[in-house]
Amino acid sequence: MPDDKVEGDAQHGVPSIAGTAGSTLANRSGSGKAIRPVYQDMVAPCNAACPVGTDVEGAMNLLREGRVVEARDLLLRENPMPAVTGRVCDHPCQTACNRAFFDDAVNIHAVERMLGDLESGVHTPAPARTHKEKVAVVGSGPAGLACAYHLTRLGYAVKVFEAESEPGGALRHGIPEYHLPRVVLAREIERIRSQGVEIQCGVRVGGDLPWKELESHDAIFLASGARVNRPFELAGQDPADVRPGLEFLHEAKAGDRGTVGRRVVVVGGTDTAVDCARTALRLGADPVVICQGARADLSASTEAFDEAIREGVRFEFQVWPVAVQTSERAEHEKAIDAIRAMYVEGGSDWSRTRLVSVECVRMRAVEPGPFGERRSLPIPGSNFTLPADTLLTALGEEPDLDFLPSEITRKGYVVKVDEFGRTNRPGFFAGGDITGEARTVAHSLGSGKRAAIGIDRYLREKAGEPVAPADPKALRYGGTGNFSITRWRGDDPVHRSGEVNEVVPFERLNLAHFTSVPGKPDRHRSFEERRSSFAEANLGLTPNEALAEARRCFECGVCNQCELCLIFCPDIAIQRHPDGHGFTRSEQYCKGCGICVAECPRGAKVMRDGP
Amino acid sequence: MKRIITDDQAVCWGVRLARAEVIAACPLTPQIQVVAELSGLCASGDLMARFIQVESEHSAMAACIGASSAGARTFTATSAQGLARMHELLHRAAGARLPIVMADINRTLAPGWTMWSDQNDSHSRRDTGWIQIHCESTQEVLDSTIQAFKLAEAVDLPVMVILDAIHLSHASEPLGIPDSAEVDAFLPGRASRRKLDGDDFHTPGAPASPVFDMELRLRHQEAMAEALTTLDTVDEEWGRRFGRRYGAIESYRTEDADLVLVVSGTVASTARHVVDQLREEGEKVGLVKVRLFRPFPTVAMRKALSGIPHVAVLDRNLSPGHSGILAGEIRAALYDLGPGRRPAIHGYIIGPGDREARPETILDCIARTREAAKNPDASEREDTWVGVRS
Repeated sequence: MPDDKVEGDAQHGVPSIAGTAGSTLANRSGSGKAIRPVYQDMVAPCNAACPVGTDVEGAMNLLREGRVVEARDLLLRENPMPAVTGRVCDHPCQTACNRAFFDDAVNIHAVERMLGDLESGVHTPAPARTHKEKVAVVGSGPAGLACAYHLTRLGYAVKVFEAESEPGGALRHGIPEYHLPRVVLAREIERIRSQGVEIQCGVRVGGDLPWKELESHDAIFLASGARVNRPFELAGQDPADVRPGLEFLHEAKAGDRGTVGRRVVVVGGTDTAVDCARTALRLGADPVVICQGARADLSASTEAFDEAIREGVRFEFQVWPVAVQTSERAEHEKAIDAIRAMYVEGGSDWSRTRLVSVECVRMRAVEPGPFGERRSLPIPGSNFTLPADTLLTALGEEPDLDFLPSEITRKGYVVKVDEFGRTNRPGFFAGGDITGEARTVAHSLGSGKRAAIGIDRYLREKAGEPVAPADPKALRYGGTGNFSITRWRGDDPVHRSGEVNEVVPFERLNLAHFTSVPGKPDRHRSFEERRSSFAEANLGLTPNEALAEARRCFECGVCNQCELCLIFCPDIAIQRHPDGHGFTRSEQYCKGCGICVAECPRGAKVMRDGP
Repeated sequence: MKRIITDDQAVCWGVRLARAEVIAACPLTPQIQVVAELSGLCASGDLMARFIQVESEHSAMAACIGASSAGARTFTATSAQGLARMHELLHRAAGARLPIVMADINRTLAPGWTMWSDQNDSHSRRDTGWIQIHCESTQEVLDSTIQAFKLAEAVDLPVMVILDAIHLSHASEPLGIPDSAEVDAFLPGRASRRKLDGDDFHTPGAPASPVFDMELRLRHQEAMAEALTTLDTVDEEWGRRFGRRYGAIESYRTEDADLVLVVSGTVASTARHVVDQLREEGEKVGLVKVRLFRPFPTVAMRKALSGIPHVAVLDRNLSPGHSGILAGEIRAALYDLGPGRRPAIHGYIIGPGDREARPETILDCIARTREAAKNPDASEREDTWVGVRS
């Protein structure tokens, strides 16, 4: 309607231009179409890729807003030890990061590590005990501690039984100091204890503590880990200089740096093998790792392998040891060993012979086996000799299941469990390395969480509480990631609009709204320093650098209220929601053009037809 | 101050002296020097204007509409395909009565792909509601650019200042640059009657129902009529201050003429030369230069051509399927003169695609007109193509 107040120059009953005295709201531009834009928060690929089940994207979003402690607490909801995973996890989240297709993946683990290391408000108050039931956890590795942590926060009394003298399991004995400093682990365990978790060390369940006694608990979580070295025998082997790698790592970690000599050969392609080599290197050796398979067959993490190479570890692929050569020890060596035996508890490694060399043969790959497993055969006549003072074996570890009650069903070398960690015996749950879980800290933490949810459901059902049927797919990030305890509890602190539990397709992102900012890689200690020191090799990022990394996050699939939809809407049909979260759309003005959907940088909006 | 410069630079001098406040443009040959020079002037601070570099002419005009609505003195420049790309928003700018000034460098619309000049780009924007001023010389370009702002702001209509590509845009001529204080006195800062105000909401360009819309169009038409007289006032004041006048049309040696050429743009200079030559030989030939194409100076045109026996309209453009566009306009304007006063009108198509219009071409048109005059029954409305290859 023309505006008669514009200028008072009306002629023919109209002003010189079409105008209104009001805003364009007078123009109800809506078309009444059924097709319309709707806000739809999806799941970022990092969240779905995380074996722990972490709301990575949610934390990044909070960091972008400068809410650092809230971001840390969001991580702590799902992961009891971000300072540990920020160091040792092989970060599948970064492999999945969409930003890698644009410039560089966000350095998520450095951000996680920074949050894990935060000093402020480390200890949130212990949650109230709201359930009368008590839960026992066998083993204080990552799976056991995660399960205990989550159950305690769900309101249960939890007691962890640890056979060793200190808690931590594989975190303590299996990961070298330069990779995970003891002080970091201690802080994380302290954080878990602060939530009310009781940890009793030096108690071997099934031995010191009979199963009968443990069964006074309402539920039991088995997470005793895998510490039995895969057997390895060689012609001419003498136990003194051919040692299980894990035992070597454990001793080195415990402070007994031992003597490995200069020439150390490590057999195996596992993380333990790489850790053994890097540890030996720090003790002054020139280690060689020999692997049966090719480079691609290594089970060790890429990052650890790359760092080992940089530090000067030599790898020989498609090589296998067939025999060892020994010689009689010199008199003075025997004397040194004898003196050492007087001071080392548990007797002497005294041996009459010493290792001289390892005889190896080159292998060639052949057709995979019936289950798709890689296989290789020796190449006749390719034998060669590697001089060696010590041979460390690291072919993988297996769980010891002999101590478990016999009625618990096994599947091969592991305990059989379902998605919720349930064994065949009611009240008995299991997780981590004694189940078929992938052998990483993150996977163990994730399996401990799933079992905690399983135990919560089991106990509440047993107590006659109404428990909604748990849909594992709905608990998993994106339907395929790990369980979210927040989803189980239904107390998400993040406001979400029209949540859809699917990973947002990359094509849905509108990259035109992002500018290229190269990623910031971790800082590392110099190689010279690393060769002689067990100080942490990877130094991560400074807090400011980590915050800058967080700001690079696309926040894929999730509305972060950037307001581009509001700005681009040609009909001013979009308004901020009065409660401050998200937006409203007015049907009177929206004509369903879809510009807001096309412009959304993160694919958090879709066009929907019908109801 | 006198300088020898190109017309693209003359445009820039005009914009600079007019103290434009916002310039939004997308570079495109042959207008590219305008963009280069103006952006440089803005960067150096010689012109205190915001230069908005855009990705298309559509966006350029959109930015101009926004800036002008906010009350800024706004300028853009374009050419050919760029002008065509603006088309939708040309209507928007005119309908919203925004006094934007644009330089259009007349370039042939592709295809065929060419940088040369003809008038079809601006002529086919004839009905967008913009005032259109054609220029003949470098000096006229500079003077018209400054006049355009005054005219535009007086009647609240956008103005297109039109100059031939290459023949003007890239040709250098001596140019008198007016004194800047004198220009400031002629053209003070823009005092817009309405502008966007965050504290006082109005919606320019709001929807209008059939109950009002026809009257809005009538007011646009009335503003065009007002522009005819306002141009005279502006031109008169310009003449007083700077000693040069152009008018809506210019009659040159038409007194007692039995044949008058009607042209627009640079070809007027060539025609002027031919007229002088023929007058020396005793032929009664004159020239009418059309400077203002919209609003069309119908009354002035009737006055200038009434009673002239033969009029030859030379078009460097074409309305395919009809005639030369200027010829069509002249025929429509003079029809009402009635028998006895109405000239016979001979249309000549001499240069779409920038076929060179030499003095011989114009002499050829005159000869053909003389020949046709011998046969009064011949059709007047059939345009003759001159200079085409056999």
